Amino acid sequence: MAIDGTAALRGAGHDRFATETGKVAVSGLVLLIAAWFLFLVIDAGVVQSWLGYAQRGDARVPTFYIRFALLLLVIAAAFTLITSTAYYKRNRIRLAPWMFVSIGLVFFAIYVIIPIFQSFSYSFTRWDGLRDVNGVWTGEWVGIQNYQRLLEDPNFYTSLWNNLLWLVLYMLAVPIGLGIALFLNQTVTGIRIYKSLFFFPFVISQVVVGLIFSWAYNPEFGLVGEIWSWFFCEQTTNILGNPTTVCSVNPPNILGNPDVATYGIIAAGLWPQIAYCMILYLTGLNNVSPDQIEAGRLDGAKGWKMLRHVILPQLAPATFLAVVVTVIGALRSFDMIATMTQGGPFGSTNVLAYYMYDQAVGEGVGRYGYGSAIAVVLFAIMLVYISYFLWKMYRDEREGH
Amino acid sequence: MFPRPIEKASPATQVAYKAALPVALFVWLLPLLAIFLTSIRPAFDIATGNVFGIPSEFVMFENYGQVLAQPNALRYMVNTLIITIPTVILSVALACLTGYALAIYRFRWALPLFFVFVAGNFVPFQILMLPVVDLSVRLEMMNTIPGLVIFHAAFQTGFCTLFMRNFIKALPFELIEAARIEGVDEFKIFWHLVLPLVKPAIAALSVLIFTFIWNDFFWATVMLQDDANLPITVGVRTLNGEFVQQWQLISAASLLAALPPVIMFFLMQKHFIAGLTLGATKG
Repeated sequence: MAIDGTAALRGAGHDRFATETGKVAVSGLVLLIAAWFLFLVIDAGVVQSWLGYAQRGDARVPTFYIRFALLLLVIAAAFTLITSTAYYKRNRIRLAPWMFVSIGLVFFAIYVIIPIFQSFSYSFTRWDGLRDVNGVWTGEWVGIQNYQRLLEDPNFYTSLWNNLLWLVLYMLAVPIGLGIALFLNQTVTGIRIYKSLFFFPFVISQVVVGLIFSWAYNPEFGLVGEIWSWFFCEQTTNILGNPTTVCSVNPPNILGNPDVATYGIIAAGLWPQIAYCMILYLTGLNNVSPDQIEAGRLDGAKGWKMLRHVILPQLAPATFLAVVVTVIGALRSFDMIATMTQGGPFGSTNVLAYYMYDQAVGEGVGRYGYGSAIAVVLFAIMLVYISYFLWKMYRDEREGH
Repeated sequence: MFPRPIEKASPATQVAYKAALPVALFVWLLPLLAIFLTSIRPAFDIATGNVFGIPSEFVMFENYGQVLAQPNALRYMVNTLIITIPTVILSVALACLTGYALAIYRFRWALPLFFVFVAGNFVPFQILMLPVVDLSVRLEMMNTIPGLVIFHAAFQTGFCTLFMRNFIKALPFELIEAARIEGVDEFKIFWHLVLPLVKPAIAALSVLIFTFIWNDFFWATVMLQDDANLPITVGVRTLNGEFVQQWQLISAASLLAALPPVIMFFLMQKHFIAGLTLGATKG
């Protein structure tokens, strides 16, 4: 399935590499990249004064649109320029992928790839995030001081421990999701509606899930308080004739208790995550080969044995994906904590993601350097999984050819 | 099919299964049901501990009306749309280009570049946060909706590229080869041949990215400060600050914030699930 035509085209192009048109094409590409950086570093003030916006209040948004339009124009011009050269026409198989990938790649590099390295360098500085009037950076270089402080910070260890709890307990979503998928993998009437409704929690934003569970956990008028009162409380009428509720054991205040608050948040987080794992397994089960199940049945495999030796091996891609998204979800847990406890009580529900945010831009603090050091630790943990994922993808790619 | 189809089981098991389904669903969606019931109750019920019973008065429209009557409630909804829709268009468009480049051409950098997109898609947000904030400040795009949109679009390009590249890779390559032999320009192949074929992928991605961005909370908190710019996920917290302990209003606001992705999901279910489960099966 190789591109057989390319070799011939490439050969034809090679001996004419140093032609004038070649230079035009290369300079066109350079122009393209330059335009992008121009867009990013061009002084917004210049555009504003062209438009007479400088004296007005918020000129940033219109300025932005104009810069963006300019950028699109330059890209279109550069592409037209490049594609019209004879050099491009001879080498199009070699040049075209770079043109297709360039815009997305530059975009992605500026906002994702380069910031990763910038965060590394921030983590060796002390900086409050401000620049002076001339846009000059005001921080100072402090070496590994931030990391040293991190090692003595009890909140950091709490966050690290909670991250570990998240990672381990969040994994429950995978077997529970499989269980629900097995339960729902039937063809009775209306099962499709059941499947979508079971998947429902995943579609709701984590902020809303957090709010729902904050209410559910409320000991006075939430779901937990209500269910608790069925078992432990009695409604009595006191001497004055007012109804009062007397409980033999007071309902637990899950989010107010530093010992259990994290577990409460993880339980809430599991709800949508189980739904996600379930849908992955439902799709996987749909594609399990019926021949192999039949063969298993003939060999006398049933129930648990069938699941372990015939079904699960075929579900491996679904399991892999479920584990990956669950790990990422666990390490990214932020929205729930921000909505339910904001790291409290007494910092007991902090995870690295939230603690970093709190230190860097939280109220009254602006520790960009320290925050970046926390982010680097979180990134290092994630990197283990990213590397594993990429390695597995690489293996699959090689097998595919 | 596994487990063994229930039709082959005894009638008693079948009845038990059909009875268990709604019970299981009820337990599973209990928090949602309870909060919906709360959102249509008068404040009086909550004060007296009537959490599960029939609402003493049906005040759904009053409660939801009161939420929407808040000065910024509708504004938050509109803001979310202004953030979400351009992001979807930009990131899906960019991913069509990058995905095509990385799937069709066998150049040496195809796989490394693809891995850059995949890896970038998985990094924790916190490692990007401060440099992105600093960049936005320097570009004077901090605290503006376009500033957030352009970041979202760039970041989502990673996931979209992963998706598009794998989708295009599965297309019959002979079609493209045939067009090349005819001498058709690469851009024309992309536009007239590949783009019509990837329409299902575009639909699936759009629905997914719409939901991701609609539900985004972190980046909106970091990049936007003015109340007038906030999307609903952040706005709902501000609203709740005003509804101190009035849980019937908090629940109504939460459900309103969750509604659009839910509608999107039920309308485009097939695409949504196809997008999420990409890679869950071999081949």
